[in-house]
Amino acid sequence: MLTKIAGGDIIDPVNGRLGKGDLWISDDKIAAAPAAGAADRTIDADGCIVMAGAIDIHSHIGGGNVNTARLLLPEQHAAHQARPATTPLSNAGWSTFQTGCLYAKMGFTTVVEPAMSPGAALHTHLELADIPIIDKATLAILGNDDFLLSMIRDDASSTMIEDYVAWTVASTRALGVKVINAGAAAAFKENVRTFSLDDVVPSYGVSSRKIVKTLQAAVGSLGVPHPLHVHCNNLGSPGSADTAAATIAAAEGLPLHLAHLQFYGYGTEGKRRFSSAAARLAELVNATPEVTIDIGQVMFGQTVTISSDVMRQFSARGSAQPKKSVIHDGDGNGGGIVPYRYGKDFYGTMQWAIGLELFLLIDDPWRVFFTTDHPNGAPFTAYPALFELLMSREARTEMIAGLSPSAMALSTLAAIDREYTFEEIAIMTRAAPARLLGLTDRGHLGAGATADIAVYRRDDNIANMLGQAAYVFKDGDLVVQDGEITHYRWGKALRLNPSPDKAMLRRLEDYHQQRYGLSLDWFDFPDSAVAREQPFGEVACRT
Amino acid sequence: MAVAWIGNRETLVERAAAHAAALLGSSRCPVFSLDTDIHGTRAAIALAERVGAAYDHADGAAVSREAALFTDKGAMTVAPGETRRRADVVVIVGELPQIHHQFVGELAETVPDLSAPDLSAKNQREIFLVGSNETSAPRLSNGRTATLLSCGEAGLGATLAALRAQWRGRQTSQPVSNFDDFAKALEAAHFPVFLFSGDATDGLALEMLQGLITDLNRKSRASGLHLPASENGWGSALASTWMTGFPLRTGFARGFPEFDPWRYDVARMIAAGEADLHLRISSSIVQPKKKRNRMALIALAKTHEPVAGAAVTIAIGEAGVDHQAVVYSSRTGSLRSVDARAASELPSAATVVRLVASHVSAEAALPC
Repeated sequence: MLTKIAGGDIIDPVNGRLGKGDLWISDDKIAAAPAAGAADRTIDADGCIVMAGAIDIHSHIGGGNVNTARLLLPEQHAAHQARPATTPLSNAGWSTFQTGCLYAKMGFTTVVEPAMSPGAALHTHLELADIPIIDKATLAILGNDDFLLSMIRDDASSTMIEDYVAWTVASTRALGVKVINAGAAAAFKENVRTFSLDDVVPSYGVSSRKIVKTLQAAVGSLGVPHPLHVHCNNLGSPGSADTAAATIAAAEGLPLHLAHLQFYGYGTEGKRRFSSAAARLAELVNATPEVTIDIGQVMFGQTVTISSDVMRQFSARGSAQPKKSVIHDGDGNGGGIVPYRYGKDFYGTMQWAIGLELFLLIDDPWRVFFTTDHPNGAPFTAYPALFELLMSREARTEMIAGLSPSAMALSTLAAIDREYTFEEIAIMTRAAPARLLGLTDRGHLGAGATADIAVYRRDDNIANMLGQAAYVFKDGDLVVQDGEITHYRWGKALRLNPSPDKAMLRRLEDYHQQRYGLSLDWFDFPDSAVAREQPFGEVACRT
Repeated sequence: MAVAWIGNRETLVERAAAHAAALLGSSRCPVFSLDTDIHGTRAAIALAERVGAAYDHADGAAVSREAALFTDKGAMTVAPGETRRRADVVVIVGELPQIHHQFVGELAETVPDLSAPDLSAKNQREIFLVGSNETSAPRLSNGRTATLLSCGEAGLGATLAALRAQWRGRQTSQPVSNFDDFAKALEAAHFPVFLFSGDATDGLALEMLQGLITDLNRKSRASGLHLPASENGWGSALASTWMTGFPLRTGFARGFPEFDPWRYDVARMIAAGEADLHLRISSSIVQPKKKRNRMALIALAKTHEPVAGAAVTIAIGEAGVDHQAVVYSSRTGSLRSVDARAASELPSAATVVRLVASHVSAEAALPC
């Protein structure tokens, strides 16, 4: 089937295409304009902008911890309207089905769940498989697991460590590797309550820095396209900017991605000893080209924090609103679920301002990524409002007027004039994530790319415009029209598939028998267990 | 072998499914009770939405108590693997379902692989049992018995309350037996773990246990291992939660999911005469109680004969026996894929439920 999206303003930074024109789709791919012949279907995009489908690199959309958060908070996500007949369960609050629909309506077509516990990989993929329309991917968590810590302690060869990382990525069907407060979850099990980059995990004698560097090297050597995704130590603490700065310095010329940097943008100035260190961190990021970051923007209102940083979440239990939480010591990281309400008080204002400062002070839109760390900073449904804040200084000024003056006095935000352009938005939410994740088939509108396309009708109200796409195509299939889902289709989970080393498999079999009293197959699963046709799409490692 | 019946009359599965769909379509208040694997649950919830049914686990009370701990209170929990690796003190809280006794025995036979040098002179985990002389405890190897922590005739909740109070240095009118041994063990412990289930433990006792665990974590580490009353039940609760946002005891009577653990207690709905159609999905055969109303029964069960009193019976296979399945495993604390141990041609619950659903008129395809 040949489709023409006619007369839209095309924004495709990768291919240098900016301006009015037509875009052609042949079945599930973007195609060059045909020399002859008419389109089977024409979409009138006059007055619209046309971009590739957006990609979210860090959003907690499925898996054990996310589901525990749902379980903990039934009062927060009641369905509020009868279901439309065409999309079953799409209005079931915070369900997998609603997640896919809400993302698609905003023009997002690929979303990465960034914290998959290897032991809960099947559970995670089952949830992701019930998220309609969009493609998904996961990052497997390593860095608090006994097997890796023991290998580092025992000076295992880099080849052995790479074999283990490769096995983890392959068996969990992951697209990359994440380390979360490296070593802290293991240390917390031994009653350590704070943990920094050069602290050492009891019983292993391994520092957090050593774990990060070991995994960074392994990920690079294996050709995993996405650099090691790092959740640093000391998240949320005043002075955590020092930790982030030390971690940025630890990149040492090799690619490293720091997640939700906003939560580390905290200095210790002012009478409350809580201030913005965003300008300092932005300067460091600007000067460190091997580092990429995403923000984890805070927006005001009720949310729930979901993190595999169990030590941090344990310490945050006292601030739970409503007053209930779950803390789980897992085989590796575990996790903590703590509901929270960001208010417009000093602290909430400061966190909000720090995120925006980072967005606006980091120069290169190829290295800063658009996230709220859903749902930790805010639910992803806050994205349209966040786009508006980035693209309109006036919107920021209006917002600032209702916030804590004492917090704003410790922030540079009010003095920043920058407004993101649509081209920069297209880089930050499409082109750059695809490049960061190694997804060459998407993030742009070149011929041969997967036909993931978002069409937005121009509107002075940016939030309205980007919150309800006029048209969204997924794999060439029109799935959203005038902001409404037309029907379900089932996306894939994108994964790497490095070949596991046979000697490592034997070693892991022995390990699981000894440590858990179970054979390795208790922790593995066939693709058929997911019960969807073609549940996975394979992405190549770099060679 | 016959696999489907309408009443006592043998028929084709397709025809039985169509008849079941007709009954569901004309039902005023259909209810489902589930004892099935993950994909059976997913299919059942999709069907429940389509026909406006409420659903629950077949033994809904225990699963509901466990879910309520999370929905109402929260918890500190630990993975079973980490329990095996770290627990130097194991505290069995009340009676645990039989399916978990083997794991408790394994804990008694093994030692933690971290902190092992600090174990007691006997180089074994210390094991306690909170309960009474009547509490049935898992059998431990080598004639070992768990040290009993009890307050005589007091119930489990009161005993846990007394235990918590004594640990905080408060006076209680009735002391807990062997408390000094318990306190000594806790003081030396690196990672005590409390094994709990909602099977025979009421909600307030589960909350009191969490209070004790929270107290212990002020200065040291401790956690609780959730050993579900029913593995199928907890698996269904998880699947329901990601599909609807809510655990079991959710209903679609108004077209969208509503979670109400009293209103959608399927056993209560049946007993009160609210339900007029009961779809029961369980590989085991449960003979229905004597009918007190005109409620019709659709039974999906592993059977070679019609279930007595059922309007429709369709034979299904057993997950992990007749067909590959995904189930909750309390041994890993997550979902697990299991192969068919003795593959047969009996269809899975999911297959049959989808077949039934295909006969219910709707505008959209099922989501799963």
